[in-house]
Amino acid sequence: MDQPTFGLILNLISTLLACGGALFFIAGTVGLLRLPDLYSRLHALTKADNLGLGLIMLAVLPQAPDLFFALKMLLLWVLVMIAGATGAHLIAKRAVRGDGEDIL
Amino acid sequence: MPTLLLLFDLVLLATLIVLALATVLSPEPRRAVMLFIAFGLWLALVWARLRAPDIALAEAAIGAGMGGALMLAAARRAAHRDEAAGGDGDKRA
Amino acid sequence: MTPSTAFLAIALVLLITMAAGLVRVIIGPSPADRMMAAQLLGTSGIAVLLLLAATLGIPALIDVGLIFALLAAVSVAAFTRRRIGQDRS
Repeated sequence: MDQPTFGLILNLISTLLACGGALFFIAGTVGLLRLPDLYSRLHALTKADNLGLGLIMLAVLPQAPDLFFALKMLLLWVLVMIAGATGAHLIAKRAVRGDGEDIL
Repeated sequence: MPTLLLLFDLVLLATLIVLALATVLSPEPRRAVMLFIAFGLWLALVWARLRAPDIALAEAAIGAGMGGALMLAAARRAAHRDEAAGGDGDKRA
Repeated sequence: MTPSTAFLAIALVLLITMAAGLVRVIIGPSPADRMMAAQLLGTSGIAVLLLLAATLGIPALIDVGLIFALLAAVSVAAFTRRRIGQDRS
């Protein structure tokens, strides 16, 4: 395969992946706005966090200038997954205990 | 592409102004702190769009992160003191 | 040809999505709802920053994204913090 065709296919894949990521973010926001109670909203949120950002990151990855920045993007995604899982767990635990409403 | 960039800037600025007004006009301290965190985040996006990554870094870390965490603690402490002083319970919506 | 125009359009869509999520921060019935909305805001902000870094050609914006991730973790931890004397479990 010659060079321009390869670049074209790579760009097409990038655009498609970014569209998929945006779809996940839209789904997460709609879920956050429309779902009835706190736990189902939390469920919608974590999907958008992990998968949406992962797809966007995969889309931007081929456009990175060098390997260092690509590695940094991967690190960013892993960090967001860890922080998102921990945060969702903390919020859910606090809500289950039933003291999320009164003190703060 | 320039039209798209202009549209991007317009959405960014309009939401920034609405967010700032909502923060300032919020009657409840804890909601105002949450909105302030969101505002700092949005302002960092504006700095990033203005091609100033350093200032965006400082705004996100200091303005939204540290300031937001400290203000959350302060608002919580104020609410506690209000309750301990026999304050009204209906202040927390 | 680079897909920068498509990236910018998707960044615009994400920005509008973030603005819609702000409604939950403003009206959210419980503070936990507001915190969750702020977290989603941070993640969408990271996505917009990544797309802007590719579109505008500023790789340093990835560092700002790292700080955003840190900010989300710190603010959630500050939100769920309890005082020592209050812990029931």
